Amino acid sequence: MKRAVGRVALYATVLIAAALVAMPMYWLLVSALKPSTEIFTATPRWLPGRIEWRNFRDAWEGAAFGRYFINSIGVTAAILLLQLVTSNLAAFALARRRFAGRGFVLFAVIGALIIPIQVTFLANFITLQHFGWLDSYAALIAPFATSAFGTFLLRQAFLAVPDAIEDAARLDRCTGLAFLWHFLLPLSRPTVVAFVLVALVAHWNDYFWPLIVTNRDEIRTLPIGLAMFVSQEVTTDWNLLMAATLFVAGPVLVVFFLTQRYFIRSHVNTGLKR
Amino acid sequence: MKELASTNSAAMRVRAWLLPYLCVLPALGALALWNYYPLAFLMDLSLYRLSASSPAPSWIGLANYRRLFESPLFWQVLSNTAIYTGLAVPLSVGLGLALAVALDQRLKGARLLRTLFYTPVVMPTVAGATIALWIFNTDYGLANYLLGLVGLPPIGWLTDSGYALWTLIAVGVWKTFGYFMLVYLAALQSLPQSVLEAARLDGARPWDRFWSITWPLLRPTTWFAIVIALILSFQAFDFVNIMTQGGPSNATNLLVFYVYQNGFQYFQLGFAAAIAVIMFVLVYGLSGLISLWYSR
Repeated sequence: MKRAVGRVALYATVLIAAALVAMPMYWLLVSALKPSTEIFTATPRWLPGRIEWRNFRDAWEGAAFGRYFINSIGVTAAILLLQLVTSNLAAFALARRRFAGRGFVLFAVIGALIIPIQVTFLANFITLQHFGWLDSYAALIAPFATSAFGTFLLRQAFLAVPDAIEDAARLDRCTGLAFLWHFLLPLSRPTVVAFVLVALVAHWNDYFWPLIVTNRDEIRTLPIGLAMFVSQEVTTDWNLLMAATLFVAGPVLVVFFLTQRYFIRSHVNTGLKR
Repeated sequence: MKELASTNSAAMRVRAWLLPYLCVLPALGALALWNYYPLAFLMDLSLYRLSASSPAPSWIGLANYRRLFESPLFWQVLSNTAIYTGLAVPLSVGLGLALAVALDQRLKGARLLRTLFYTPVVMPTVAGATIALWIFNTDYGLANYLLGLVGLPPIGWLTDSGYALWTLIAVGVWKTFGYFMLVYLAALQSLPQSVLEAARLDGARPWDRFWSITWPLLRPTTWFAIVIALILSFQAFDFVNIMTQGGPSNATNLLVFYVYQNGFQYFQLGFAAAIAVIMFVLVYGLSGLISLWYSR
């Protein structure tokens, strides 16, 4: 009897939490599909009376969303590419080579993990000003040229590759960077994918840094575009705002739903290492 | 022929010796320029007056810090941040733990629920903020409608200085608890099953089993989760900037927003740097204390 009560309490807690999480997302979707006349009603409608697909077209044309979209894709892709190159190279040296100063480099990587951008942004802003890079794609990309998190994650994966494989590869004259490319990367694929996904979500969603360094509409990314759209439109067309929100959240959510097992893996690798 | 081979192998040795340095150079250079140099630069900057009105920096010693400590707004911001952190950290970590334990019981639909709870984590903060602005809209928002259903008067969720900070905390927890749920789930699944099984056979009740076995075993995970939650909560900015701009009457002005406000709205870079230094010291002082307490 007691056990049954516990079971019911457990289910109830989980269901309440599920409702609190799902409800805002449901409301986002429903509001995006409603015609304006159904937005400001005394009693909210749980289902749209009719589906207003035009909301998406109107929202898309309400701000330079096409441009923001292209900027977001370009900036995120450039950051990922740079991080993959720099982090893989560093992780390779840290995991597979002995050299004077290795401990120092590893310490520097782990230390950088805990320096958040919210502390460094003032100084980085002034650095970019000196470079004359403010308000350019370079300002959006350069500060994220490497990832301490990625370097650390990849190093752990590369460490797990047995030395015997490297010895065998050496006999086939596959050494150095060729070994990294032909053996380490394919063998560590799940970790590489997990890193790419975590970085993709972080930089696609990033609002803080683009807010600091962009002033021109032509180089703004989606999150900034949406925030500007909201501040112009607020108190008016919530259905258009919700439609625009879907432009920003949609792609990243689709990627997440398709690849969740890799996300979970990224936690197993970071959260459990103790 | 022999000579050629030996110079060849000497060149190869040099290349092999050089390779690791060339490999770490790009990453190390980027970390030095964008992570470490700014820390030093920030501390230096905090000793200068550098603002739109006096663009030539002048050294003023600790005057920025003195001004900061004498400013009532700074203490209000600090108290807001303390309330935010003091609630957001235990709520998001606690909720994450509770749901992880629940989903670990082979509950029906556990996989689907895990996905659902993690969705806010990957959702852009701007998207979450826009939805929250709509739901907590005073006149037409869903939240006030639901209050009305149970006979309560509407609340100015974001416009009343008595409620705005609580609303931001709720939205912040909504966004982050899924991360801690996944961290705990991963930890729970790696616990030694034999110990739990032995306790079950001894007839220990679920509640006792949890407190006397699972909870102590999760100690390192809890430490990790609390430190991460602490760092995350000190970084809270996006929701503040989009939803309240620190208002009404600074009720939701948190540390990062305060730095941003002074640096990029009032253009007092030296003063803003002093706040950022204090923030850094606070976050890592607290994390250090927690770590010390945990490693007793």
